[in-house]
Amino acid sequence: MIRLENVSKTYKGDVTALRGANANIEKGEFVFLVGPSGSGKSTMIRLLNKAEVPSEGQIFVAGKDIGELSSWKVPFLRRNIGCVFQDFKLLPTKTVYENVAFALEVIGRPKHVIKSQVPAILDLVGLSKKMENLPHELSGGEQQRVSIARAFVNRPLILLADEPTGNLDPATSVGIMRLLDRINRDGTTVVMATHDRAIVDTMRRRVIELDRGSIIRDQSRGVYE
Amino acid sequence: MALKLDYLARETTSNLRRNLTLTLASVVTVAVSLALVGSAFVVRAAVQHSTARWKGDVQFIVFMQANASTQQINAVRASLSPGSNPQIKRVTYFDKKQAYAEFKDIFRDEPVLQQSLTEADMPTSFRVSPRVANPDLISSMVAQQEKLPGVYRVTFGYDTVKKFERLSSLVSTVILGTALFLLGAAGLLILNTIRMAMFARRREIEVMKLVGATNWFIRVPFMLEGLAQGLAGAIPAVVAVYVLYNRLGSASSGTASSTNILQGLYVSSGEVFGISVGLLIVGCLVGVVGSGIAVTRFLDV
Repeated sequence: MIRLENVSKTYKGDVTALRGANANIEKGEFVFLVGPSGSGKSTMIRLLNKAEVPSEGQIFVAGKDIGELSSWKVPFLRRNIGCVFQDFKLLPTKTVYENVAFALEVIGRPKHVIKSQVPAILDLVGLSKKMENLPHELSGGEQQRVSIARAFVNRPLILLADEPTGNLDPATSVGIMRLLDRINRDGTTVVMATHDRAIVDTMRRRVIELDRGSIIRDQSRGVYE
Repeated sequence: MALKLDYLARETTSNLRRNLTLTLASVVTVAVSLALVGSAFVVRAAVQHSTARWKGDVQFIVFMQANASTQQINAVRASLSPGSNPQIKRVTYFDKKQAYAEFKDIFRDEPVLQQSLTEADMPTSFRVSPRVANPDLISSMVAQQEKLPGVYRVTFGYDTVKKFERLSSLVSTVILGTALFLLGAAGLLILNTIRMAMFARRREIEVMKLVGATNWFIRVPFMLEGLAQGLAGAIPAVVAVYVLYNRLGSASSGTASSTNILQGLYVSSGEVFGISVGLLIVGCLVGVVGSGIAVTRFLDV
């Protein structure tokens, strides 16, 4: 599903964020990216949905070299990749329902599809009672559920999560991880960058560890360290 | 929570106000510049009409009395023909039919005046182009013609007309130049307004990119906003042009004598319509180009 071949990313001023990374992630896998701040986790996530382009190497998503993708096709790549972030990125003036519906509206899904899909996905994330609330009326964990609902409502092949539990307390984080696990069991490939030792150690999934831009460990059913 | 709501309300209203003033600024600039462009074209058309008779070196016009006899007309024709008078290069005879057509064209927007006169009331005339543009010689020729029987009046106005034309073309060129500068400023203002609007909606744009909205889907609303601003500026300019058109109409109706040097500074309704359509198109273009530059430069995906 995702293949990295010798991928490097250098920012201005000789800052190397990623150095010769190789990895192969199969369809339906659940992968943790771990490592200290600045080790290249977020860069790797951003490269996967072409928010950035690698300085060297090739990235294949669903068999296609995304470096070859012309810029007008990038939106169609992103429709197959859901994204979840530490800071949720919800629109503060839209209700929970509208936030999720927005993701379908802007890719031109018809109204009747939106009307049936959005309540279904909000039910899945356990927020069917808060559809008319605004984001600031929700707890952090609930806001992250909205953002997961938005990322998943279009049933993408891949879900990228950049420290989705970074702003949440341990108990709430467990709920979020259950939700991501549930999504993964449906066949969606999940790649999650995290600092959270407890989560990685309990879930025992594949772990890719980065250090100063290099992959130093790739272990199935791994632990944080 | 109360603080958060308060903060949101404040941010939203200040955002709106900032955008409102900027939008207003660009709309007013478009309106002023297009009103100038429109006026310049109206004046240009009016001057062209009022001096239409003086095209092609026509230096003076001999108007016959409406009831002049054929012999009298022939006598004047003979005295003006280039064959018998070596000082004359060309002479054009305007019969009653042509005079009536011209009259109807000049006063096309005044049906009352049109109905009060018939073809028979029209004076015939000779438009004379002398071989040399010597003022003394021409005025002696004018004096000669005025004495001939059946001649109603000789209108001599070449110099006046040329001065008038030069002055009006200078003025309209200056106005057009100023207007083009203003139009450029209007485009830049629209560009900045759209940039501000995109900044205000940057979260939405970020989410749209994230979930795979196409570039055009993101761009089009902003370009429409620019188009709307251009159009909103063009509408008052069109109103200004129509006001000017009406003023010219009422100002020229007092000078309803077809033997004056300059005929009424009129513009036809068709011309005003054409100018207005042009202004609307230019307004839309300025808006689309300004916002188009804004979205392509500050919205890379």
